[in-house]
Amino acid sequence: MMKPTVDPLAQLTEIRTIMERSSRFISLSGLSGVGAGLVALAGAGIGHWYLRGEYGPGGFLHLLESTASERLRLLPFLVLLAGGMVVAALVVACFFTIRRARAAGQQLWGALAQRLALSLAIPLVAGGVFCLALYWQGATSLVVPGLLVFYGLALLNASKYTLDEIRWLGLTQIVLGLVTIALPGAGLLMFALGFGLGHIGYGLLMYSRYER
Amino acid sequence: MKHLIHTLNKAFDHRVRLGVMAVLMANEVVSFTELKEALDLTDGNLASHVAALEKAGYVAVSKQFVGKKPNTTYAASAEGKEAFQAHLLALEKLLRSGS
Repeated sequence: MMKPTVDPLAQLTEIRTIMERSSRFISLSGLSGVGAGLVALAGAGIGHWYLRGEYGPGGFLHLLESTASERLRLLPFLVLLAGGMVVAALVVACFFTIRRARAAGQQLWGALAQRLALSLAIPLVAGGVFCLALYWQGATSLVVPGLLVFYGLALLNASKYTLDEIRWLGLTQIVLGLVTIALPGAGLLMFALGFGLGHIGYGLLMYSRYER
Repeated sequence: MKHLIHTLNKAFDHRVRLGVMAVLMANEVVSFTELKEALDLTDGNLASHVAALEKAGYVAVSKQFVGKKPNTTYAASAEGKEAFQAHLLALEKLLRSGS
């Protein structure tokens, strides 16, 4: 309870803490990022290996100039791979974040987490559909830039409800996506760089800042 | 020193009320349950303090029904935001003059 003598410093500190805690989901674990990054690296590896098996050494490059029937034939594999990666990354990310929220005592599936999930999901689903359309129409070289840019925008959008590092991760993905437009041949590499190393880097940064 | 203390708003003279205003400054619209969880309070405790803020005109209350369940949401009024900002400023002034 408040004593008649006011301690302004304690009041200001508490107000700041409450504003922060009530408007941001702070239990996001850095290890979630590391896990998602490893999933992305594994996925890029599987894709690389599969395309090489199909088309020889220039696997991914061949995909960029593929005909409509080739793209149709590859579609089930690519959709399965992408879907599998999203599910695996989500499972890993949820595992570490649930663990951290429990330890910190922050409510897990409250209004904040829901707002975070929704603000992430809307640009992400839109981006997924859009990139599928790019692939379908033969603009294959724009698929990886599209994925990176839309994912970056989703992170940027969600960052107002969580840790500040997410904003920087989002901006990094957007820049990488735009650079990839100029380097279509390096698409798979840029995918591994953004979704793989980007997540791992920022995940480790968040881990060392908040969880040790 | 003494006169500075009197510039502090009496309506915020309690940590629960400060907490409620802090949550409402950071979030546009907040439900009773969210408010309760954010501040870790009991129903009765929160209700009485929110009522005091409502009476002062600092908090706007709106009651809707979601299906058959009543859902009460709270938002800071323009007046409340202004008063809270002034309170924060007064606290900062106090801090600067005190040390």
